[in-house]
Amino acid sequence: MFLAWNEIKKNKLRFILIIGVLMLVSYLVFFLSGLATGLKDLNRESVDKWQADGIILTEESDKSLLQSSMNLDQVKEVNADESAVLGQISAIAREGDKKANIALFGIRKNEFLMPNVVEGKAFSKEKEVVASDALKEEGFKLGDTLELSSSEEKLKIVGFTNNARFNAAPVLYANLETFQEIKFGKGQNSNMEEQINAIVVRGNIKNSVSDKDLEVIEIETFIENLPGYTEQNLTLTFMIYFLFIISSVIVAIFLYVLTVQKISMFGLMKAQGISNLYLAKSVIAQTFILAFLGVAVGFILTLLTGQFLPAAVPVSFDIVTMLLYGIVLIVVAILGAVFSVLTIFKIDPLKAIGG
Amino acid sequence: MSVLELKNVNKTFGKGHKKVEALKSTSFTAEKGEVIAIIGPSGSGKSTFLTIVGGLLSPSEGNVIINGSSLTDLSEKKRSKVRLNEIGFVLQASNLIPFLTVEKQFKLLDKVKKNNMTPEELKVLYEDLGIEDLKNKYPSDLSGGEKQRVAIAKALYSNPSLILADEPTASLDSDRAFEVMALLRNETKNKNTTTIVVTHDTRLIGYCDRVFKMNDGELRLES
Repeated sequence: MFLAWNEIKKNKLRFILIIGVLMLVSYLVFFLSGLATGLKDLNRESVDKWQADGIILTEESDKSLLQSSMNLDQVKEVNADESAVLGQISAIAREGDKKANIALFGIRKNEFLMPNVVEGKAFSKEKEVVASDALKEEGFKLGDTLELSSSEEKLKIVGFTNNARFNAAPVLYANLETFQEIKFGKGQNSNMEEQINAIVVRGNIKNSVSDKDLEVIEIETFIENLPGYTEQNLTLTFMIYFLFIISSVIVAIFLYVLTVQKISMFGLMKAQGISNLYLAKSVIAQTFILAFLGVAVGFILTLLTGQFLPAAVPVSFDIVTMLLYGIVLIVVAILGAVFSVLTIFKIDPLKAIGG
Repeated sequence: MSVLELKNVNKTFGKGHKKVEALKSTSFTAEKGEVIAIIGPSGSGKSTFLTIVGGLLSPSEGNVIINGSSLTDLSEKKRSKVRLNEIGFVLQASNLIPFLTVEKQFKLLDKVKKNNMTPEELKVLYEDLGIEDLKNKYPSDLSGGEKQRVAIAKALYSNPSLILADEPTASLDSDRAFEVMALLRNETKNKNTTTIVVTHDTRLIGYCDRVFKMNDGELRLES
């Protein structure tokens, strides 16, 4: 640490440049991880809110909530600690000039899918909805009457709930009757009015369904099968992994160039009997200092940037994930220093001092 | 017991008709308190001699013994320890670390080796070599003479039994060169160490107890 820190102090500009490069790489990694988390939340936050273990869909739906359709009576055949029925449609909600893509969840008020209300009140009758507070960013407010693209019915916002987006669309929570009227129309077909999309279950889900037409899937599997969810995550994750590799290569190149410039100095020290191990530790310590400072500044800068981003940008910083990525960045930077360490091991002190 | 003993040491480079005998079979001893000069023209084998004595180069044949321990049979790691504990180097281009102040050059030695001089001894050394005002300066802020004085102090700091100086006055004017040699001689006598100076500058031989001449790899006592 002694050699490492003193060299940094003496050659501030050179090392500030390296720290700057590492800071930019870590800033990009943190920002991408924030974007990945934000986009994940955008897709799954309403599902996470269920705190459920599984979801029962029809087998032929291929794990798609929208494609699944079952009779309300089938809930009686479900064997789980807790169960809740769910109907879902996607639509465009409009109020005057304001419009937004929404997902309408038809639920029973007394079951666990009923969300917490952070503003206003819970729905108490038909045509009333509790809306995701994400709609407030679109200009919607309590008391607004919404027209849905797929229905003649009008819905009134009586309350707002937080963290309620499904597959990037804000959720409207209504009772089952409202859902069925919107989906099938009032009095169109009494059989159809008994249809729901899924049954959400808590507890041990293994033997929760006996009907061969139904299948129970774990919530995580359900989320992974949301349209575009896995593809989007994989893309961002690969970008982050590539950035890890890139940062390792950048550090390796910078340190290698620095080491080559100092070959005669390392040779002198080796000639004086200073061991390879001490010099290697010094290079590793220097890399740690540079990577730590770069990552720390990148971390702070990312959080600061987050404060000034418009709400429309789907960024959500998960501090634990960011800290983990920060540690990985420091580790890969140290791996990048291995090249320099090997170079030091190969330096012949005799040649270095001109013998 | 001699501080340094060379027994039939020689060094050849290359093979067959390209074989060059850089150092012919040499036997040599150096005692405590001695300042010895090895003089000779460029390419005569002086540096080969010095690097073999310093454990930086292995001889083709023969044995190098420092304080009774054979250097020749040791691994590079163990030779490195001998260099650290027994030998102080003063090199032509000074052996200072460019990003450490003079004071920190000594702190580095404290990090890698125990039994260096005490702070009080170091203070005396600073005064003896006239470098007490240079403590907070970097090597780039020092003149050639100042650098060599610091290099000598650094070589002496770890209480070595043998100091090897390779052209220590090469980059200095005459006055500075004599000053550096006088310092080396005084410190050798005061600390009862042994100093071997390799140089082509015959004006410096007046500071030495014995002078050897190296010619075509052959070492001969001059005076």
